[in-house]
Amino acid sequence: MQAFLDIFDVYLLEAVINGILLGGVLALLALGLNLIFGVIDVTWICYAELVMIGMYAMYFMVQYYGVSYFVAAPLTTVLVAMLGAALHYLVIAPLLAAPPINQLLATGGVLFVLQSFATVAFGIDFRNLGIRLPVLAFGEMHFSYARLLSFLAALVGMVVVYLFMTRTFTGTAIRAISQDRQIMALMGVDTRRIYLITSAIGGALAGLAACLLVLQYDVHPFVGLSFGPITFLICVLGGLGNFIGGFIAAFVFAEIISLGGLFSDLEWGYVLAFAFFIVMMFIRPAGLLARRR
Amino acid sequence: MRVRMAAGLVRGLLVAISATGLAMSAQAQEKKIKIGVVFDLTGPLAGGGSELGYIGAKIVLDHFAKTGVEGYKIEAVYADAQSKPDIAINESVRLLEQEKVDMVLGFFSSAQCVPVAARVEQLKKFMWMTTCISSAVFNEKGYKYVFRPQASGDQFGMMTMDFIAQNAKAKFDKEPKDLRVAIIHEDGAYGVDVSRGNEAGAKKAGFNVVMKEGYSATAPDLSALVTKLKRAKPDVIFHTGYNPDITLLLRQAREQGLKFGALMGHGAGYGVYEKLKEGMGADATYIFNTDPISIWLANQKTMDAKLPPVIKMVGEEFDKIRPGVAIRSAHVGIGASNTYVFMSDVLPRAIKKYGGVDPDALRKAALDTDIPEGGTMLGFGVKFYGEGTPMAGQNERSFPVVIQYLEDKSHVVWPKSQAQRDAVLPLPKGTTYSNQ
Repeated sequence: MQAFLDIFDVYLLEAVINGILLGGVLALLALGLNLIFGVIDVTWICYAELVMIGMYAMYFMVQYYGVSYFVAAPLTTVLVAMLGAALHYLVIAPLLAAPPINQLLATGGVLFVLQSFATVAFGIDFRNLGIRLPVLAFGEMHFSYARLLSFLAALVGMVVVYLFMTRTFTGTAIRAISQDRQIMALMGVDTRRIYLITSAIGGALAGLAACLLVLQYDVHPFVGLSFGPITFLICVLGGLGNFIGGFIAAFVFAEIISLGGLFSDLEWGYVLAFAFFIVMMFIRPAGLLARRR
Repeated sequence: MRVRMAAGLVRGLLVAISATGLAMSAQAQEKKIKIGVVFDLTGPLAGGGSELGYIGAKIVLDHFAKTGVEGYKIEAVYADAQSKPDIAINESVRLLEQEKVDMVLGFFSSAQCVPVAARVEQLKKFMWMTTCISSAVFNEKGYKYVFRPQASGDQFGMMTMDFIAQNAKAKFDKEPKDLRVAIIHEDGAYGVDVSRGNEAGAKKAGFNVVMKEGYSATAPDLSALVTKLKRAKPDVIFHTGYNPDITLLLRQAREQGLKFGALMGHGAGYGVYEKLKEGMGADATYIFNTDPISIWLANQKTMDAKLPPVIKMVGEEFDKIRPGVAIRSAHVGIGASNTYVFMSDVLPRAIKKYGGVDPDALRKAALDTDIPEGGTMLGFGVKFYGEGTPMAGQNERSFPVVIQYLEDKSHVVWPKSQAQRDAVLPLPKGTTYSNQ
């Protein structure tokens, strides 16, 4: 009994809170990808690579050109938004009517292009922004401000995207298109413009994620490999296109990783999270928040 | 008529003979050894030290390409393993079968060395590993064509444990059984192998192992591992990792308030001080690393007299490629020295004594290697465990050293025979991770 009670110590609480903070990071990453999938019905396999480009932009602006972090962050967000729009215009738009596998392969190709571009342009070195934020301490428990910022950004980002989608004409048009792509064009909505706006918003969210991840991780051409697959799984778990579902899925996933890693080997945390994903695909294949039909 | 015919025949014969002679002389001039060189030039391992090993090997190969060896031209063919074991295997096979190289050399990652060695042995081709350290490459495999002058992973793990064991009482004021140690490692062939050495060393020293755990080097979050370390309260952490997992771990350790007395690294990411410094700032000071000694720190007084000029040459060439580096990484020296051993000792013997550069000649020449301590730029000697022994192909005279980063310099602190200064142990009060 005592051994069981010993589990409930301050470190368990720290692990729970760290799980929530990791969930914030993952939710931030999933937000943009979910939005794009929900509206355009195309999965940007290269989404994490857009984040990587954003991280490089932050690194060079802050470290090389001495731009303030607070100035560099909005510039990076705009830059990656433009990159998102360009990706849609150049790669996705010509393939909208093509089979999904072609779209998937095309964005997969962009993934390798961006990785190779980063390798050639920036080299293979790991680069660090060099900003060390203070630490929030409560007795034995310590938390990262960088993670707290990511968590808050994910929360605010989700609320803003939700309000944009439900309270504005463009947002309503985006939602309408996600429900029926063909009919909206017949009703006079410029679908090409809406797609472009959605892609830019998705890119901007990737840019925002980059601004916050660069405070926690080194930048290198392959940093996307650490996040890309897990972000995609979270979107699927939450229900592709359902960004509230994605938001919740990110926290569920992160808690399994954090607590699984605490009670067993770290690796088991990831194994449990992926096993949970597989089980949920059987139980709720359309995602955690999908309505039962 | 007959005379004319006979004269024509003789003329034809002379032309044929001279043509054959010319062809033979051309062949003699074109005697060369083609060496396939495989390192990671892209992907996460490139920045983790592989590219530096490549630079070291290339400097030496370029040096010998100018002079040749025993009348043989040196032609190096380079390939990028892209930080992936499958690519390393495919590139090695491509080099051997399509580029027709006579041997393969290099290899940074143990995860690549293990499968590539098996494949190369299967093809009965010659392989010379300069950098990777996993014991699993050789353990009970009985390879005939695979050789490694580099120290093995379990030696790395044993060396750091020995260092702490010899300093437990004096520096930590604790008996070994009271010293709490944690062993954490990336879960590839390299990390697992070093951790086995750590475990064996801890058992031998009688330490209290409070935690032992592996993790994936690409994991996006290590906070649960840090929380467990906080709960375990180790005096010393023995860590084996690449980069960027090292900087991620130490960043999260700082953010979560992990405290300890000493951090012992084991090569790879810990061997690239520039990156540690960039990621951790002043916290990179006092970290320990285990690696073969940097060739620029090795004791040149006890070294073969022909080696110091080579060390100088390697340093000058490296500075041209990477100007302004504060500490030349040990990886450069490892690549350079282990390539130099092959080019200056094994290859000449294969040509002179065994008549060429085919795999059997190279194998016999490698087995004859008998370089005493001080005979390489890394300080150790070279003699390979012979056929029929459990570690056949591994250098039995190699050893790593323990260094500590202090004031932007690396200092050898262990073993005593190589030590340049006393180690700072435990972490001084007031430093970020200090448990004082």
